[in-house]
Formats: sequence, structure tokens, C-alpha cells
Amino acid sequence: MSAVAAAAIRRPRRPGRRKITNRTLLYLALVFYLAIAVFPLYWMFMAAFKEDVDLIDPGVSPFWFKRPLSLAHFDVLFRHTNFLTWYSNTYVIAAAVLVITLLICVPGAYALARLRMPGGEHFAIGLFLTYLIPPTLLFLPMSQIISGGLGLGNNKWALVLVYPTFTVPFCLWLMLGFFKRVPFEIEEAAQVDGCNRWQAVLHVVLPVSVPGILTTAIFAFTLAMQDFVYALTFTSSSSQQPLNVGIPASLIRGDIYFWGELMAAALLAGVPVAILYNFFLDYFVEGITGGALKN
Amino acid sequence: MKEASIGVRPAVAGRRRRRVNWMEPMAGYLLTLPALVYILVLVGYPFFLSLYFSVNHVFIGGEYRGFAGVSNYTGLLDNPIFQRAFWNTLGFTFTSEIAKAVLGIGLAFLLLQPLFGKKIVRAFLMLPFTLPFALSLLGWQWMFDPEFSVINYLFGHQLHLLHQPYPDWLGDPFWSWLAILIVNIWRGFPFAGVIILAGLTSIPGDLLDAAKVDGAGFFRTWHYVITPIIAPVLFIGLIYDVTFTLGDLTAVYRLTQGGPGYSTETLPMQAWQVGIVGGNLGLGSAITLFLFPLLFVGVIVFLRMLYRREAL
Repeated sequence: MSAVAAAAIRRPRRPGRRKITNRTLLYLALVFYLAIAVFPLYWMFMAAFKEDVDLIDPGVSPFWFKRPLSLAHFDVLFRHTNFLTWYSNTYVIAAAVLVITLLICVPGAYALARLRMPGGEHFAIGLFLTYLIPPTLLFLPMSQIISGGLGLGNNKWALVLVYPTFTVPFCLWLMLGFFKRVPFEIEEAAQVDGCNRWQAVLHVVLPVSVPGILTTAIFAFTLAMQDFVYALTFTSSSSQQPLNVGIPASLIRGDIYFWGELMAAALLAGVPVAILYNFFLDYFVEGITGGALKN
Repeated sequence: MKEASIGVRPAVAGRRRRRVNWMEPMAGYLLTLPALVYILVLVGYPFFLSLYFSVNHVFIGGEYRGFAGVSNYTGLLDNPIFQRAFWNTLGFTFTSEIAKAVLGIGLAFLLLQPLFGKKIVRAFLMLPFTLPFALSLLGWQWMFDPEFSVINYLFGHQLHLLHQPYPDWLGDPFWSWLAILIVNIWRGFPFAGVIILAGLTSIPGDLLDAAKVDGAGFFRTWHYVITPIIAPVLFIGLIYDVTFTLGDLTAVYRLTQGGPGYSTETLPMQAWQVGIVGGNLGLGSAITLFLFPLLFVGVIVFLRMLYRREAL
């Protein structure tokens, strides 16, 4: 239980009426916040499952269904668009980014957390600062490197190469925290038992760190699914695009918006990411604030 | 415990006993080498390339038309579209940060309370932040639709807070500015909430008790106890969010493309139009580099704070 919450509970009890008012205010505030946060999603849900006539019929309440739920938009999505290609592109890219991120971060984070090396601290801080270079600052020169230098223009693998620029600093930082928390004693105990340092790492430290490594891995995965700028810059044909770019590129044709299909696609693509992200949100917050909290 | 502090090695007694040899730093450097190389090649190199582009006339496809000196930069300062983009970027960021802070404080205190089904509730409250912005913006685009805007229906037709003619959200300079602001706030307030919450929960309970015993009221406790403790956390969260908001292309690109006219133009949007659509990488890079001093101020303050804490 958090300290402030505990303090709030310890507040001297007042007679019932005040308590009831407080509860009411609390739930009113909750409803207010929930309405703001969830309404756009609810609205997307409505459009995705309504028939097209229902969407524009002024005689229908926009907030509920008049005709029964329809899967027509989903049908169009799966049969007449590249939705599944975008979906697989997104997940293939994210998986490849995950692998690269782990290959770079596990050894790096172990070294920075455990090994005595002059300049290590400066490197860690320098790394933290690369958080602060947004993709916007890099996408123009990067486009030159990718399509000019490497010949990866309009290729989803360009994204695999580029996404670790933001997953690596973040994940290295997160993993650094995890490794620091593994007690030195168990590593030393393994060495006393006859392992050399590398065996100790391999057989003791890494297995103990599996939850941390997994967390970081899934985190890299979700970060890679959030990007828009790079995907917009480096992929132009539908077969190479991830969801965030493919959906609007194909379902908005000039002035014509296929609203039902757009909303259906955005929900199918976005909700899994949101769920995954939500599980790891606390680690994300820790990754950001870890440097500032000294307790 | 020191483990959460940046770059400081935990002072574990056992470590000192071990024999120091040169193998350890060597292995360390070798293991961090991949990360270092990756960052240098794909963050460092593009960054310097962008500096190089900005002082040259470079176009897409590698076409080079001579040294530009500072003319890309000076030309921008006189360019009314750039001025618009610059002030809009600052305006969106500044206004939305204030709104996010206000909503975030409320959200943090809400999440401190014992609530029924808190985990689920929190997951719903976090949706604006956890959904990919590019996708949730499609929903907003539909909500701002000129004909079928549900916002106009709700606040105009049903609650009578808006009057005919209803706002053309994405087609009117004022309303489209507001629309961009709204989506930025919507996307960021849950993040503000959890960051503030992380700060609040890090306050030791006995400190609050001590303040109470000493007779401090809510505002004094807030000012003298809570604020100094949570300030560093809030500051880092703020830098992170400012970085995101300053550099965000998604909202403007999806909703207005900088229009109508140039009323919602931002630096990332203009950089995109000039650099990618117009193919002028030199000028485009100069535009993005105007973001850098803004970010750099944050970095310097952050580093100073960090080193001061380490010294304690």
C-alpha cells in the first residue's frame, strides 16, 4: 500500500454523511475521467459494428444500435484489403526488433550494471540522453541513409534496422535496473562453488534475470508497434506497411473515408497493443523515473 | 539503497574484496560495444548528417547543390510559415503540458483511492496512452467529421452548449487548433497521471505523519514536503512528454496536415512537407534542428540535477 493512501486511510473517521459525500465525489470524478478516456474507443466500436446506413441515418441514436450488429466492415477488411499483410508486417517487424534489442541489451546492461569499467557511468547517462532525441530529428537524414546508402527504400526491414534506435536506450536502461537488483552474493557463491565468472553468469545470473529480460523484450515489442513517423517515411507500398500506416493509406482514398472499416481495423490493431502495453506500463514508468527516484 | 540511481555502482562490500584485474574493464567494454556502435551509427551519425544537411543545399536522391552556410537557417527566420510553425509547436506543447498536469494531478489522486476493480479501471483510464496514437487518431478524425461529428451532436444537439453553425473542427483555423490541442492532451494525461502517482507513492509515510504532527495543513504539506520529493520525478516525466509533444508529427499529419492554411502547422509537419514531400533535405533538417535547442535546455537542467543528487 502506498504511503499517501495509507495516510489517507488513517485520517480520523468522521460521521457517515461526509464519508458518503466523499465517495460520491470520488465516483463522479472517476466517471468523468473514464468518459474522457474511453469515449473515443466506444465511438470507434460503434462505427465498426454498425451498418453503413446506421452511421449516417439522422433518425438513429448515434450512441446505440438500431439495426443488429454487423460484421460487414470486418468482412471487407479481411477480404478486400491487405489487412492481414499489415498485421503480419507489424508483428514480424516487432519480433525482429525484439531479437536485435535483446542481443544488444543483455550483454550491454550486464556489463554496465556489474563490471568495473572506467567511463561506464558516463555511457549510461549518455544513453539516457538519447531518449531525448525524437525520431523527428532523425527521420530526414535517416531517409537518406536508408534509401540512398543502404538501398532499403520502401522495405519493412528498414524499420527493423531503425526501431532499435529508440528501443535500445530504453531497454538497456530498464535491464540495467534489473541486473543491479540480482544480489552479488549468488554470483560469488557460484564462483566459490567452482564456476568461473562466465559460467556463473550463464548458469546463475541470467536464469534469475529471466523475468526482467522478458519484461524488457515485450516492452521493445510494444514500442516498435507504436511508431508512425518512420513507418510513414520508409514504407510506401501496401505490402511493406505496418498497421499504423497501412490502414489509413488504404482506407482513406482522397476525400472518401471508409469509416466503418477504418474503425474496425484500428480496433483490431490497437486493442492488443493497448492490452500488452498496459501490463508493462509500470515498468515503463519505472524506466523513465528510475533515474530520479533514489529509494 | 542506491540501485535506482543513475550510473552509480552499488557499494557492495563484497566487491572490494575481489582482485582488480584488467580483464574486467576489457570484458565490460567488449560487451557494451554493440550498444555503443548501434547508437553511434544510427543515432549519432544521422544527427551529424542532419547538421551537415542543414548547412548545405541537399536534396532527396543525394543531389548536392553547394554549400549553404547559415542561409537555410536565416531564410527560415524570415519565413512566415516557419514562424507560424515554430510558435504553434511551442503553443501546443506549453498549453497541453499545463492541461495534462492539471488532469494528471486529479487522476493520480483518484488512483490513490481504494477503488472497486482498480486494475481494470486503470487499464481503461490508460487507454489513450497505451493505444497507438496513429490508430486512436483515426477515431478522433471520425469524431471531428464535418457532417457527423459526435462532439457537435453531443454538445450542440443534446446539451446545447454549442450553437449553430456547429464548429467545422478540422476546417476552421480556431477549431482545428483546439482539435490538435485536445488530442494531445487526451493522449498525454494518463501518462502525467501515472508519473505523478509514481512520485506520490515514493513519499515515505512517516514524513507525512511528521508534517501532520508539526501541525502542517494540506497546502503546507504539499508545498514543503510533497513537492520537493516528487519534483525530480515530475521533471523527468515532463521532459519525456515535452520531447514527445514537440516532436510529434502524428496528430497534425493525421488530422489537419497543418491546415487550414497554415493555422496548425508545426515544425515536424513543416519538416515533413519540405524534406520528404518537397525533397529539400537541407532546409528540412534546418527546421527539425530548431527543436534541438528547446530539447537541449531540458537536457542541461536534467544533467545538473542528476549530478547534484549524486553529490549528496
